[in-house]
Amino acid sequence: MRLAACKAARLPSDMSRTQGERCLPLSLDEDCTLEEEDEGLIEEEDEIDQFNDDTFGAGAIDDDWQEEHKRLAELDERGGLGGGLGLGGGSIGGESDLGGAGGDSSTRLPSSAVHLPMPSSLPSLKFTSSSSGLPPSDVEDRGGGGGDLAESLARFILDADPAIAGVGAAERPGPSPGSSGSSLSVLQGLERSRVLPQPSSIPHHTQPHQHPHHPQHQLPPGPSTSGLPPGPPPSSMLSYQQQQHLLRRGTASMGQMNSHSIWENSMGFGPVSVTPGLVTHMEDSPLMSIIKEVGLPKRPPPGRSDEGQDLSERVPPPRSSSPVIGSPPVRAVPIGTPPKQPISHNLNHQVAGFPRGGPAPPLLPGGGGFRPFFGGPPPPHGHRMGPPPPHGPPNHTPPIRHNTTHLHPQHRRMLTQRMQNRGGDRGRTAGDRRSRDPYSNLMTQKEKEWVTKIQMMQLQSTDPYLDDYYYQKEHTTKLITPQVAKVEHTYRPVQFAGSLGKLTVSSVNNPRKMIDAVVTSRTDDEEKREKQVWNKRRQILYTVEKMYSLLLEVQDFEKRFVQAPEEDREALLEQHKTNTVQLCNSLREKEWDDRVSDEQCVMIMSVRKGKRLISRLLPLLPSPQAAAVVMAIARNLPALAKKDKQDQVLCWLVEPASAVIQSLSSSALTDLLQELQGNEGQLATVLHNKEKGCKAPTLTVNSWTTIDVTRELLSVPSSSLSPPLFTPPNLLSLLSRYVDRQRLELLQEKLQISALSR
Amino acid sequence: MNYVPGTASLIDDIDKKHLVLLRDGRTLIGFLRSIDQFANLVFHQTVERIHVGKKFGDIPRGIFIVRGENVVLLGEIDVDKPCDTLLQQVSIEEILEEQRLQQQAKQETEKVKMQVLKDRGLSIPKADNLDEY
Repeated sequence: MRLAACKAARLPSDMSRTQGERCLPLSLDEDCTLEEEDEGLIEEEDEIDQFNDDTFGAGAIDDDWQEEHKRLAELDERGGLGGGLGLGGGSIGGESDLGGAGGDSSTRLPSSAVHLPMPSSLPSLKFTSSSSGLPPSDVEDRGGGGGDLAESLARFILDADPAIAGVGAAERPGPSPGSSGSSLSVLQGLERSRVLPQPSSIPHHTQPHQHPHHPQHQLPPGPSTSGLPPGPPPSSMLSYQQQQHLLRRGTASMGQMNSHSIWENSMGFGPVSVTPGLVTHMEDSPLMSIIKEVGLPKRPPPGRSDEGQDLSERVPPPRSSSPVIGSPPVRAVPIGTPPKQPISHNLNHQVAGFPRGGPAPPLLPGGGGFRPFFGGPPPPHGHRMGPPPPHGPPNHTPPIRHNTTHLHPQHRRMLTQRMQNRGGDRGRTAGDRRSRDPYSNLMTQKEKEWVTKIQMMQLQSTDPYLDDYYYQKEHTTKLITPQVAKVEHTYRPVQFAGSLGKLTVSSVNNPRKMIDAVVTSRTDDEEKREKQVWNKRRQILYTVEKMYSLLLEVQDFEKRFVQAPEEDREALLEQHKTNTVQLCNSLREKEWDDRVSDEQCVMIMSVRKGKRLISRLLPLLPSPQAAAVVMAIARNLPALAKKDKQDQVLCWLVEPASAVIQSLSSSALTDLLQELQGNEGQLATVLHNKEKGCKAPTLTVNSWTTIDVTRELLSVPSSSLSPPLFTPPNLLSLLSRYVDRQRLELLQEKLQISALSR
Repeated sequence: MNYVPGTASLIDDIDKKHLVLLRDGRTLIGFLRSIDQFANLVFHQTVERIHVGKKFGDIPRGIFIVRGENVVLLGEIDVDKPCDTLLQQVSIEEILEEQRLQQQAKQETEKVKMQVLKDRGLSIPKADNLDEY
């Protein structure tokens, strides 16, 4: 009884097939239309009806035709359907057909909804003209038919696919609230874009009364039950003629299908008009009320995780025994299966004798063809409405989500999208392209989370070495060297037992000492002092050099003067003068002091070169300065003598010194002598040291001092006269030459006193 | 919205226009609708784009499901960005013809090359044979 109306191209095969199988008239039709629209492959497949749900789709997988049969049979009896609408497995892809009902008037819609399925999908329904697989009876003809039949049919259909009912059901103020209302709203939503201007003679009675008992809750899943088949409206909802018409028309518009947004195109067949009014009217339809009465599919029990439910729904193999409610979720489904749309295994608890858990999901992974037996009798939950859609403006009345699992996934998505779109249309501002995209969110949030969850699971692991191929412990490249205790290695020379010495071998670890270098550590003070000393010495040397150069200049002046031409002589003269001045000045310690500084002279003479310098300088110096220098020498004679031990240049000073002495005035001489004598034994020691030159100075000194000395000696009291350490033996004799007898006698006395006192 | 911060995921690419290059060299452009943990991709309103020289042609393909292992690369197409005008779109027949010619020329050069190598006793294995290891 499936329909001849079904597909033009497929009719033969379909017919043959569908008769044997439990077919979903509505779904089949929907499939046909869908496929045609999508692919244009109508003519291609001959052997296998790929679009027949019973072969591959939900019908094959999910439907338990036996159950359906039972239900329909019950409905049959209850509804008082006349005729032989046997439910040859007439599951009802209700909503698709209903959606396609497209009554010309809104009021007709419900009736059309009721009406249309009948021809193709409800063979069992005893409906006057519609039964027997849609013969080309017109929808209009059915008109009136059995009101009861229509009613029951509508109820059957809508309840069978609560998803449809869910669309737009919220707005309906059905007489009996309940999920039934929602199924009708689903219906409306589905029909929205698919309404065709088909005359629908289905009587529109909003039956206020609902059948309390609705056997048709389990809508056999199938594509037909999906929300919004894009293709031509399910043939079950249309009369055969209409369907044919659509089919013919469909090819023309097929071309548009491929490149357009298929879903939105609303089949592209004929004018599509869905008015909100229509929807509203639909809400009032008896169908909705029926659906409401019957109740919506239940949401999964709160205690369960969604995933658990999903997984359990996906159990491919049939379960002979239904799992106990409350037991841990059955994870017979491999984890790799994506979550399904929110599944409500609802079941209408009002359904009597409902053995199965709920409408089977339309698509099971692995193609399992059995509905999972889930949770035995439906849990006694109240009707649960689906969560409001995630999208849509706040003022959007949240559509009630019913159990859409029996829908073909495509249809389910269309359904949700329609719902979303409707919500979006109401409050949306232009601009967001994605919101306009009717195909967006094909992948639901749950599915995204599921994928993410799997990916995250891969990140966690107790043993990353096993789970992650690329995992490597951090810092594995760091070389782990063996920790060895550091032992002091000092060289100990080999010693043979019984020998007296040690064999020392020079090796890398024990190198032989090549240089005896001793490190002397000095303190800072010592270093400073040493530095100072060195600096001073350098200074003296520097001065000596400077003076020497000047001296040489001066001494060479004569030569140069003679050689120089006339004009240069003056310049030379000038230069000479400056040089001499400079020389004189250099002897002074300080610039402002005219005196020759003793210290400077001493300093200069501490250096050997300095002594030579002085000796050469003395004859050049003016007499006072020369005398001063000599005086300085005399004063510092012992020190000089000491320093001269190494240098041995003091003798050089003798000649010039003697020359100077000769020029000395008497007073100066006495000073000199006093100096000489002042220091005990200085002269003696000096003379002693320098045997060579001692005579000369002694003689000169003596020759000049005899005169003065006699005077001095006489004048100076004898006590004060410090006896010379060493009196030259010839002193007396010398003195005797110069001094007369009296003075000589005095001198003798003095000398004797001094000698005695010694 | 990145569900897992610090990671890369295709979740954010959903419902966006993408270009994918497959291992067999095909280029597909379509809206990425769904993914899974293997990076299998579901493309919607897919168009296979054939490039030959400066010309290209689009063949509408509908819905594509690509097995993840066959993807070489995948990238989002910025629809707002102005299109490159260097490439010239031609009809499908033309581009297919161009492709055929291109393949032909390639095969001929390859043939000549192989012959030359063979004459010298050398051989270079084809890349597709290297997959088996």
